[in-house]
Amino acid sequence: MSVVRRVSVHLVLLMFLLMPYAGAFGNVEAQDEPEEINEPLDIWSKDYIDDVYPWGGDDAAQFKEYHTYFTMKDRMQHLAENNRNIMTFHEGLNGGVNARGQTTTANTYEGWYYNHKSPWVKITVNPQGGDCNDFVGDCGNYPDRPDVLLVGNHHAREWMSYEVPMMFLEMVAHYYGKAGVDNDGDGLVDEDPWGDADGDGILDDDGDCLSLNSSHQDSNGDGVLCGPGDHGVDEDFSEQYLTDLVNTREIYLIPMLNVDGNRYDREVYCGETAWENCAKSGWRKNLRDNTLTDAGPIPNLNEEVDDACDGVDLNRNYQYEWGAPLGATGPLIPGDCIAGTTNNDVYNGPVDTNDDDGDFLLNEDAVDGDDNDGDGLIDEDWLGGNTEPETKMIQDLTEMNDDNGDGASEFKVVFNWHSFSNLVLYPWGHCTDCQTPDHDFLVYHGDQMAEMTNYENIQSSDLYPTTGDFCDWHYGVHNSYCFTMEIGNNFHEHPDDIDHIAALNMGPTFYMVEVADDPAFRAVFGLGMDEIQWMQSPANITIPDEGDIPVELCLHPNFPLSNDVNRSHMMYRQVTPTRMQNDYGPTEWKEIQPWDMTGFDQTTIRCELLDGTNGTMAIANIPIPETSVGEIHYRAMLGTTNGAFPINYPTVGEQPGDYYVLSLPYRAGFGSTLLAVMMFILVASVVWGGLGFTLREMFRDRGDDDHSDQTDIVESSIQTVGVDSAQDYGRMTVAELKVILSERGMPTSGRKAELIDRLKGA
Amino acid sequence: MSGDTFGGRMGLIFATIGAAIGTGNIWRFPRMVGANGGGSFLVPWLIFLFVWSVPLVIAEFAIGKRARTGTVGAFRIFAGKRFAWMGLWTAWISTAIGFYYAVVTGWCLKYFSAAASGGLSQGVDTTLVWNEFLQSPSQVVVFQFLAVLITMAAIWRGAKAIEKVNVILMISLFILLFSALFLSILMDAQDGTLDGFVYMFSIQPEYLLQPETWISGLSQSAWSCSAGMGMCITYAVYMRKDEDTTLNAATMCLANNSISIIAGLTVMMAIFSVVQDPLSAVSGGSSAITFLVLPEVFAQAPGGPIVQLAMVTMFFLALSFAALTSMISTVELCVRNFVDHGVERSQAVGFTGGALFLFGIPSAALWILMDESTGVAFPQFLEVQDHIWGYGLMFSGLFIAFSIWKYGWNRYKVWQDENDIEGFDFRDYLDNGVSSFRDDFINTGDNDWWIGKWWDYIMYLGFPIMFTVLMGSYFIDVIFNVDDPWNPGNPKGISIVLLFWGFTAAVFILLNRWLVSRPLYRNVPEGAEVPIDTLPGGEDEMILQVGDIWMGGDLDGDGSGKDRVLVAELA
Repeated sequence: MSVVRRVSVHLVLLMFLLMPYAGAFGNVEAQDEPEEINEPLDIWSKDYIDDVYPWGGDDAAQFKEYHTYFTMKDRMQHLAENNRNIMTFHEGLNGGVNARGQTTTANTYEGWYYNHKSPWVKITVNPQGGDCNDFVGDCGNYPDRPDVLLVGNHHAREWMSYEVPMMFLEMVAHYYGKAGVDNDGDGLVDEDPWGDADGDGILDDDGDCLSLNSSHQDSNGDGVLCGPGDHGVDEDFSEQYLTDLVNTREIYLIPMLNVDGNRYDREVYCGETAWENCAKSGWRKNLRDNTLTDAGPIPNLNEEVDDACDGVDLNRNYQYEWGAPLGATGPLIPGDCIAGTTNNDVYNGPVDTNDDDGDFLLNEDAVDGDDNDGDGLIDEDWLGGNTEPETKMIQDLTEMNDDNGDGASEFKVVFNWHSFSNLVLYPWGHCTDCQTPDHDFLVYHGDQMAEMTNYENIQSSDLYPTTGDFCDWHYGVHNSYCFTMEIGNNFHEHPDDIDHIAALNMGPTFYMVEVADDPAFRAVFGLGMDEIQWMQSPANITIPDEGDIPVELCLHPNFPLSNDVNRSHMMYRQVTPTRMQNDYGPTEWKEIQPWDMTGFDQTTIRCELLDGTNGTMAIANIPIPETSVGEIHYRAMLGTTNGAFPINYPTVGEQPGDYYVLSLPYRAGFGSTLLAVMMFILVASVVWGGLGFTLREMFRDRGDDDHSDQTDIVESSIQTVGVDSAQDYGRMTVAELKVILSERGMPTSGRKAELIDRLKGA
Repeated sequence: MSGDTFGGRMGLIFATIGAAIGTGNIWRFPRMVGANGGGSFLVPWLIFLFVWSVPLVIAEFAIGKRARTGTVGAFRIFAGKRFAWMGLWTAWISTAIGFYYAVVTGWCLKYFSAAASGGLSQGVDTTLVWNEFLQSPSQVVVFQFLAVLITMAAIWRGAKAIEKVNVILMISLFILLFSALFLSILMDAQDGTLDGFVYMFSIQPEYLLQPETWISGLSQSAWSCSAGMGMCITYAVYMRKDEDTTLNAATMCLANNSISIIAGLTVMMAIFSVVQDPLSAVSGGSSAITFLVLPEVFAQAPGGPIVQLAMVTMFFLALSFAALTSMISTVELCVRNFVDHGVERSQAVGFTGGALFLFGIPSAALWILMDESTGVAFPQFLEVQDHIWGYGLMFSGLFIAFSIWKYGWNRYKVWQDENDIEGFDFRDYLDNGVSSFRDDFINTGDNDWWIGKWWDYIMYLGFPIMFTVLMGSYFIDVIFNVDDPWNPGNPKGISIVLLFWGFTAAVFILLNRWLVSRPLYRNVPEGAEVPIDTLPGGEDEMILQVGDIWMGGDLDGDGSGKDRVLVAELA
């Protein structure tokens, strides 16, 4: 840490205020400024601290010194009591019957040695409302609020890993509901958020750091000028953002999981000033008394901690790939700790001796996602793991905090802090040369956090392979996006470095809370994956002669398309022209069907994404009868495996109404020619035949009329009774004519005209 | 002293067929066939021909032949003095339709002239032609004026002239359509199949289960035959005394349907042979098919440019003729009512023609909008007019049925008085009331065909039911498929229609008293004198025959005695 001169905070703030005008005076004037002015104020000064950590409290609360377990817990309770609208304080879990049918009590989650339960805070607005969970002991469970789990201090000696969550807690408590605070006093509000939120490549958005002389631009001494964590960089985040997150998320914050180990490290193993003697060493595990186990050959009768053998590495104790997978660091024999030998810092806990599934076989199906014993059940008889109070607490919290009752973990994002190495780690940890199905997305989120911190983002196993890792368990068993931050450069950092390391890590913490709603979806967007995918537009669709109409989507090979038809589907509706159309205007369309949906068939067919890379095809078959004509409106909604938000094709605003319109041709056969000819004959004989008949009748009448016209003049006066007139014969039926003929003794055969002629001739 | 009559039976038939055959046969019928499942549509269409169109036309002929006046007089005589306004409504609806129908006739004429001059040959952007034409009001008005002029010339001289013009136009129309049909068959048969023919005569059962098919069939049958519009009342005025009304009615409706089939086959076969997606083209809008699709279709006819030119020219000439004959009947309906009330024919024709042209101008030039989705211009004002008066026609039909009910009830009351019977007896009513119109006016000695009780059932039961279904389906369609249907400012809405109807009916009811205080001159040809004093409005001393002179007093109130002069001239 470089030595900096103390300058009045107000002078510096004034300087920041004048920054926008500095350019107006030109470079020459700037050179004339005394160099001392462009130095930061002493970031360790009381003034500065009060300015940057305005919540007051003691030195620990302002991150000038470490919390102990006790001061930390007091502070958590104090903050919870003073912010009852957004947080509640808890210790351990209440217990009950857990998701695996085991009965637990509150004691189950107490540390072995000091008998503390890990303290934690539930953060969400109105934490007393919503649903209450008797097992976990919290209320404020809302099915529509994504949950996120933040865990510190798995490893006792990694003290910064509980200071970071404590700073997060202080910031939430202080800034919640205070929109628009000018945190750096430069007259601008919320102008310098964590990381490069606006994507312009500049971290120090307001130039606070860049305005300093170059010798002061690396205040955290990491060799990067005005990089993350440097003075003046990312120091004016948005309070509205923080408030919105608290309002829309349920945050489970466990700053110190391994209370036993932490107390032992501070009180016994290294001492209060551990940074002096234990900078890169210290106590790692919890305080399981291994000498009492069957495996421990040498009992420790005085019950003191046997630092050579006791304890379990909590971050090797989770059930997923527990034991000794290929390439993992020891112990080579699971569950073995040989007292008196070299302290095994990564002891993963005892082997499970229960027949978990009651089939009289032991450990035949370890938790690895495979059905090892081929009995149709997966991971039902585990080898070991989750044996410790602390890991059991994580397990039961994860599995019992089921807001919506669907049996899946509510934590779409899980985050935990470790020390040290300045790394961001993503799963897997248990295997090398392997990738998770969500690899691109995990890398994406890791990169975002690495950018905010200048840390390096690597796969966990690339640091070293592990077994029974926290993140492997969350990702492997519960499909949560889980990240590990290896913060700082020491296990025990110097107290001077607490606040700036903690401040540096606020960005990733809020980021994790933000993306907890649907991390896969956000990664898809962040990677621009949605923009290179495409759905067939109407012009490119080939409508088959019969059957469903296939609409193709070209998806990124890694796109996490949910197979749940409720999340991923093609919406379509059929629109036909109204049959009662206006005779003179344009087509008036009438919707006859509401929106319907159909799922996608994922294929292995290759297709070319918009950026020219290979994608895979998903096809939706829209069921439309061949006899339909009109239009089809269609749009795709793609849900991600993890998420709630659909991605729409066409994108919103791309098309009017946000759907494509496909003109639908008539595809059915036009009918049978034979039947059509028969129908034609029927219609023609009725209409044309009818017309012919009436016309014939009419002409015949007219013939009669003409006749009568000629005779009218002569006959009208004398002919009074027209029985014999030709005109009246014409009006008679054939039967009537025959009666007259037979009366007169004439032949009655022949057509009507012949009969009339015969009568007239008579 | 002789009334104005048609020279021969064929004259009347040609005139009524001309009235019935309009653009609806040529552009609406193929569209309806396409949208309603081909042959499936023909089933209701044929059924309603016999249960709707023919019976109603029979009624109109019977009323007109007995009343010997236009619609106003017919209602005054048949429904009684208080209901003369119904005739006014009928006349007005027809005239109001004429206002914009003249514009449409103008379109047809324009397209004929464009086709004849080669303006619709292959490769021409028909949408552009249409848009440019519609968006230049001066052109539209010129052709509208031309349509009005031709119509006026045709009817200036009365029934004899109408007869001659109609005979020429109708025979030309038949020839043109048959020629076009012949070419269409050649076109459709080119690919070895007769797709258009097969589609048009194939029944798709699922369509028969849909109410829309039946409603479309009913409306097409009613609209296309001009049944219930008062046309046949008007033309029956010129019937000779022994004219067979039932045979005339059947002939007219069957001829109308025959033309529909020919036109339908021509259009369907031509479109199916050329257009990739024929059904969408057929069902996709009205102006679109006639003025946008068909020129393109005919421009692709086999046989080279000359056949193509002949085809498209013939088609639009036929369309123009069909439109003109309908125009003639529309104007004649209006003119007849003026003449009935003592106005000189030439004056009435001039006045009607002038009004037709002036009031048609807004439809020709106002609110020419562009349909965003298709890029096709359309006349909004004309559409609104069509929207309002097109369905107003339904009431004209209802009023005709009403006058029949009224007559039947009157006759029942008279019968009761004659036989000293008190109280209502349904069986007696059926025998002496319901059937009386049929007995008195249809089954007269002049008709070859005996019309049975079925006609009474259709008039008394079928008619109100079908009216309700048509009206109901129309209102439901508007209410559910038009945004904001109750806003009176919405041209597609329901409020604007109800307002116009209500206002018109109110004005006409107010005018009724004035209307019946004027003498009415019946056009009774020699030898056709039949007493009308049994009719509800028959004992009105102001109802005279042409040639009679009203002796009751000075109507104009100016003491000039002009009325007599007018009548004298007429005689």
